[in-house]
Amino acid sequence: MVMGELAEQFDVAVLGAGPGGYVAAIRAAQLGKHVVVIDPAGIQGLGGVCLHAGCIPSKAIIYASTVASTLENAMALGFDVGKGCGKGAVDLKKLQEWKNNVVRKLDTGIAGLFTQLGVETITGKAFFQSSNRVGIEGEKASIHAVEFKKCIIATGGSPISLPGLAFDGSTVLSSAEALDLDFAPEEFVVVGGGYIGVELGTAFQRFGSRVTLIEFGERILPGLDPDLVAVVEQRIRAAGVKIVTKAKATGVEKKGKKLVVQVETANGKLEVSADKVLVAVGRKTDARALKLENTRVQLDEKGLIKVDAQGRTTDSSIFAVGDITPGPALAHKAYRQGKVAAEALAGLKSAFDNRCVPLVVFSSPELAVAGLGEAEARQKGRSVVVGKFPYSASGRALSVNRSEGFVKVVGDAKTHELLGVSIVGVQASNLISEASLAIECGALLEDVAHTIHPHPTLSEMIAEACEDALGECTHLPFKKGGKK
Amino acid sequence: MAFDFKFPDVGEGIHEGELVEWLVKEGDVVKADQAIANVETDKAVVEIPCPKAGTVLKLHAKVGDTIKVGEVLVTIGSAGEKYAGPAAAPAVTPPAAQAKAPTATVSKAQPTAPSSMARGGTPAVPGAPKVAAYSADASAAAFEPMQVPSQVLAMPHTRQLARELGVDIKRVPGTGPAGRITDEDVKRFAGGGGSVSPQAGAAAAGGMALPAFEKASWLATGEEERVALKGLRKKIAENMSRSNWMVPTAVQFDEVDVSELVEAREKEKARAERQGVKLTYLAFIAKAVAHALKEFPYVNASLDEGKQEIVLKKYYNVGIAVDTPDGLMVPVVKDADQKSILEIAKEISEKAALARERKIALGDLRGGTFTITNIGSVGGIGGIAVVNYPEVAILALGTIRKLPRVVEDRILLRHVMNVSLSFDHRVVDGALAARFVNEVKKHLEDPYAMLLEVI
Repeated sequence: MVMGELAEQFDVAVLGAGPGGYVAAIRAAQLGKHVVVIDPAGIQGLGGVCLHAGCIPSKAIIYASTVASTLENAMALGFDVGKGCGKGAVDLKKLQEWKNNVVRKLDTGIAGLFTQLGVETITGKAFFQSSNRVGIEGEKASIHAVEFKKCIIATGGSPISLPGLAFDGSTVLSSAEALDLDFAPEEFVVVGGGYIGVELGTAFQRFGSRVTLIEFGERILPGLDPDLVAVVEQRIRAAGVKIVTKAKATGVEKKGKKLVVQVETANGKLEVSADKVLVAVGRKTDARALKLENTRVQLDEKGLIKVDAQGRTTDSSIFAVGDITPGPALAHKAYRQGKVAAEALAGLKSAFDNRCVPLVVFSSPELAVAGLGEAEARQKGRSVVVGKFPYSASGRALSVNRSEGFVKVVGDAKTHELLGVSIVGVQASNLISEASLAIECGALLEDVAHTIHPHPTLSEMIAEACEDALGECTHLPFKKGGKK
Repeated sequence: MAFDFKFPDVGEGIHEGELVEWLVKEGDVVKADQAIANVETDKAVVEIPCPKAGTVLKLHAKVGDTIKVGEVLVTIGSAGEKYAGPAAAPAVTPPAAQAKAPTATVSKAQPTAPSSMARGGTPAVPGAPKVAAYSADASAAAFEPMQVPSQVLAMPHTRQLARELGVDIKRVPGTGPAGRITDEDVKRFAGGGGSVSPQAGAAAAGGMALPAFEKASWLATGEEERVALKGLRKKIAENMSRSNWMVPTAVQFDEVDVSELVEAREKEKARAERQGVKLTYLAFIAKAVAHALKEFPYVNASLDEGKQEIVLKKYYNVGIAVDTPDGLMVPVVKDADQKSILEIAKEISEKAALARERKIALGDLRGGTFTITNIGSVGGIGGIAVVNYPEVAILALGTIRKLPRVVEDRILLRHVMNVSLSFDHRVVDGALAARFVNEVKKHLEDPYAMLLEVI
C-alpha cells in the first residue's frame, strides 16, 4: 500500500463490523452521518463473530441439540420417536446448511440496512495514522486510507490459544471452527469449562460425541453462583459428559488416527483420547495492532481501551466500544455501547450508564444472571435478603416436564431494592429480561412481587421468589418469622 | 520538547468557548503570557494568554470552533522544531496476561468466564463528582471512566433527563423508595443551581417541580431566518427563564423628584471631568441604593431553597445592566457602599466599556447582590425588570423628565423619574419593598443629606 495517498473522507469511520460496530454504524447513519465500516471480512463480516462464529450459530447448534432432549422428553411422554435421539440420529451436514441459512438471513438483513442508510464498507484491516486518519491493509481493500471526523473502534477480540495446543483448523479447533463441524467427532475433548466449552460440549454430547470437559478451576462455569452451577453440572454429567476439574491441558499429539491430549491434574498426568479438540479458554484483544501510538488513545492496565461513559477515549475524536473496552465481553453490552457512542458523537447526551448487564449461559438447563449474585452482594457490604423458588413448585415447569432448577433473588434487607436475580432452569435466557428491566429501573422486591404475572407461566417464579424474600410466598411452606 | 497547551479553565462553571480569533499564526514566536487567542464564553470574550514562550507549531482549532476545557488549543515548541503530531500515548501496556499464554493458570486467562464478570466488573470507586460530566470532553484532565455496572439508583429515563439538564446525577439525593432518584429530584436539583445544596426541602415547602412544557410550534407563512441560540444570548435565555420560574415576582412603582440631584450633578460635573470622570446619575443612584441596602438587609439577600434559609449578605455589590451589541450584561460594582460616587462613576463607565467590547473579566460579572437597570437611558417612562436570580430585587429607572409638579401647593417644573422595584416576594413583602424604595427616594431627593450620612 502507498502511504500518503489520497484518503476518502467520512464523517464516521467504524473499525469492525461486529455487534458494537454495525450497531454504531447504523445509528450514526440514522443521525445523518456519512459512515464507513472497515472490517477484515468486509460486507461478509457484518455481524462479526457474534453472527458468524459466536452467539447466533452456537444458538442454532444448541437449539438443534435441545431437539434431542425434546425427543427424549417426548419418549417419556409416550411418543414413539423411532430412531430417537441417539448417536447418528442427526445429519450434521443438513444441520450446518440450516444454520448457515440462519446466519445468511441475518447478515443480509444488516447489509440491507446498510444499503438503505448509505453506510459503506471496506474490506481490510485498519490502523491509525493520526487521530483523524486510518490506513487500510488488505488485498481486497478498495481504498487504502480514510480520513474521518470521528472514529469508533469496535475490533473485538479473538480466541486465546494455549501453549502446546495451538489452533490448526483441523484437529485443535477454536469455537468458530467447532461450530462449522459437519459431523460429530466420536471423542471430543473440550478444554475450558467456561460458557463456550459447556455450551458446545453439551451440544456435541447430544449429537452423539463422547465429550470430556477439562477445566482448570475447581468447577465448571467459574465465577458463577455454585448453587446454580451445581444444577447444570448434574445435568450435563447425567447426559454423559465427563468433567475433569483442577486440570490443565498441556499438549496434544497424534497417535495413529487419534489424538491424545495431555492433561496435568492434582493426581498426576492423564492422557485423554480424542478425535477433535476444542480450546475455549477465553478471548483476548489486541489494541496495539491498531497503532494507537499515532493517536492520544490510552490503554488501561489490562490492555483495554480506556473509555468514558459515552465511549469516548482519551482522544476526543476517537470512541471505542465492545470487547476492546473494559467490562464484560458480551455482544449485548457492545450493542448498547455502540448505540451510545454513535449518539454521543452526533452530539446527543447519551451514556452507557446501565445498572445491569445480564449474562446468559446456554447450557442445559440454561443459566442466567442479572445484577448481583448473593455472594457478590455480601462482598459489597450489602445486608441482603434472599428469596428462592424452585422450578419443581411451578405448575408450568412441571407441565412441560422440566422441574430442575430454581430462581434466586437478592434484595437489600433494609430498603428492599432488588439487587440481583439468578435463574437456572429451562427458559432462563428468556426469563431474565424481566429481572434486567426491574434492576435497570431500580425496582423494589415489592414492585416485582406485586406485579401480576400471567398464570400458568414460568415467569411467575420470579414474582414468587421476590415474595419469598419478603416472607410472603404463597406456594412455599410458610416460614417462621414470615410476614403476616 | 513540544508543549500542548490545553484550553484552560477560564473561570468557574465555564466548560467551553467559541474561538473568535487567533492572535498568532503557526510559526510565530510568542512570549510567555502573550495573548494568543480570543475565546467567547457564555459570559465574555476572554483573551487566552500563552503560558510558555516558544514558537507556535500548530493551531488546533479553527475560528468558529467550540473548544472544550482540556482540549489542546495550540502546540508550542522551539524555533525550527516541526510539529510531530499529537503527543504519543503513554507507555502502552501489553494486553494483559491473557495474551501471554496461561502457563501460570488457565482460568485466569478466561475473560469469557461469566459473572460480573468476565473481566473485573468491579466498579471503580467514584471519584469526586463533577458537574455536567457529559458536556465536558474526555480530555485527560476531565476523563471519567465508564463504570460497569453503574451504581446510580434511577430509571434510565431519569438518568437521561439528568444528562439533558447537565446535572451530575451522582450528586442528586433521591427521594423515591430505597433512595431512588426521581425526575422531580433531578429537576429540583437543576433548578437549584447545581452546586447549591439539593432542594429536597423545596418540594415539601410548596412543590417546585418544573412542569413539562410543550415546545413552541407555529405555521410559517413567509421567509424565516434561524439564528442559533448560543453564547451570551443562550445564557440570558436560561437565566431569565429560571428567574421567571423560580421567583414569585411583585413590583413596586414610585416617582422620584430628582431636581436637586440634577442640580448637584450639574454643579459637580465639571470638577469630575477634570479628574477624567463622567459623572452620571447612575453613580448617584448606585450609591443611594447601596446605602439603602444597609438599612434593609432582606433586600440584599438570597434564598437558599435547599437549606430553607434566607442568606442576608453583609456586602453590597451593585450590578449595573449594560446593553451590549450581543445582549445584556451586568458588570458588578463591588462594595459600592465603601466607594465614593466619583469612584463608582469611574468604575461603571470603565466596566460598561469593557462589557461592550466583551473584554470584561468574568470576576467582574459575578457576585452581585442587587441590580440596577437604567432602561430610561434608552427611552420610556419606566419598565418592569426581571429579578436577577438569586438576587431578590432589581431597580428599573425611567427617563428623567421635566414635568409640572405640585410643590408646597404651587405648580412648579420639576425633574422627575419613575422607578420600579421588582422583588422576590418569597423574601420581600410589599410593605418592605415600599419602605426600601422610600429610602432610596429620600436619598435621591436630597443628595447632599445622603452625602453627609455616607461613609
